[in-house]
Amino acid sequence: MNPPSIRECAPVELADEDVLRAMKAMQGYIDITPADFREVYRVAYALAKERMMNALKAGDVMSAPVYAIGEGADLIEAATLLAEKGISGAPVVDRDGRIAGVVSEKDFLRQMGAGRTGAFMQVIAECLRHKGCLATPMRNLTVGQIMTAPAVTAPAGITLAGIAAVFVEKNINRLPIVDGDGRPVGIVTRGDLVNSYCMLG
Amino acid sequence: MGYFAKMRGHTQSPPGVGGVEILWSWVGSFLGIAAVGLLHFKLLDHTGLMLIIGSFGASAVLIYGAIRSPLAQPRNLMGGHVLSALVGVTAFKLLGHQPWLASALAVATAIALMHLTKTLHPPGGATALIAVIGGDAVHRLGFLYVVMPAALGAAVMLGIALVVNNIPKNRRYPEFWL
Repeated sequence: MNPPSIRECAPVELADEDVLRAMKAMQGYIDITPADFREVYRVAYALAKERMMNALKAGDVMSAPVYAIGEGADLIEAATLLAEKGISGAPVVDRDGRIAGVVSEKDFLRQMGAGRTGAFMQVIAECLRHKGCLATPMRNLTVGQIMTAPAVTAPAGITLAGIAAVFVEKNINRLPIVDGDGRPVGIVTRGDLVNSYCMLG
Repeated sequence: MGYFAKMRGHTQSPPGVGGVEILWSWVGSFLGIAAVGLLHFKLLDHTGLMLIIGSFGASAVLIYGAIRSPLAQPRNLMGGHVLSALVGVTAFKLLGHQPWLASALAVATAIALMHLTKTLHPPGGATALIAVIGGDAVHRLGFLYVVMPAALGAAVMLGIALVVNNIPKNRRYPEFWL
């Protein structure tokens, strides 16, 4: 059961012609038909992919430590932290350090009139329409008021295949990894997932 | 897929081989059969023993002409001939008075045994069959047929295959031993 975006990057289907040309490039009589070879390839590739996707876990690829923001922090503080660290989102924690939600650029944009999709261009359109910036009314809000909650989280043992599935299913871009008490210990972004493919080599 | 639709086939033949491959196939099989033939006709012919049987012509196709094939590897060549010879002689001894039944049983059982032991070698089927239909000369050998011609002849062919198949730079034999 592959989520749709994973199926899209499935391997290129081999054509008989590719197999025949490869066979021709090898010395000697190759004792297999192109169709049988393709069948072996298809099954072997699926097995290899499964093995690789399950070999690495969130703990291997996550960014840690994670920059968590307190629920009560104001938005200037939060925006400054995100800007300084060059990240687009972070987990939000309550007073006990347990994860309460996730705040990201999208949450800010939504406050600025981006609508449900959180599109930046929607904000531009709104700004132009109203002849002004829409960020100022947010000045008095706290992170807890704009964050997306509850947070979608996962334990460090989740596999890359599992993470990819969560990204697609929940349509999110970052997955906070939490310990048994719900405290964030790291975060896996879509970028981390892409980089992990290089690790798989 | 429908029963008759399956009979249409669904893919194409593997590509043909180049001139170099054809040349070395010819050299290997010439030398392999020559070696077995010389030993047979010059040394053994007048002793009532034999070293050459038709199935070695089939083995030559594999071990000199399709050397990458799993069917052509030493395990299959030696195991296939020896086990099939054993089955063939046994079938003749048990059912020699019914040659049609002994033949069928010999070949079918040889194939099953080769599959079971991962030694499938198509010429083994011929080796089993010849044990039944090979006439008095073969029948007189009894179980010696397993050692000679089957094992010994196959071993000579294997020796030639090791020597000849490894001469060209991008040819190698075997793929595996056991």
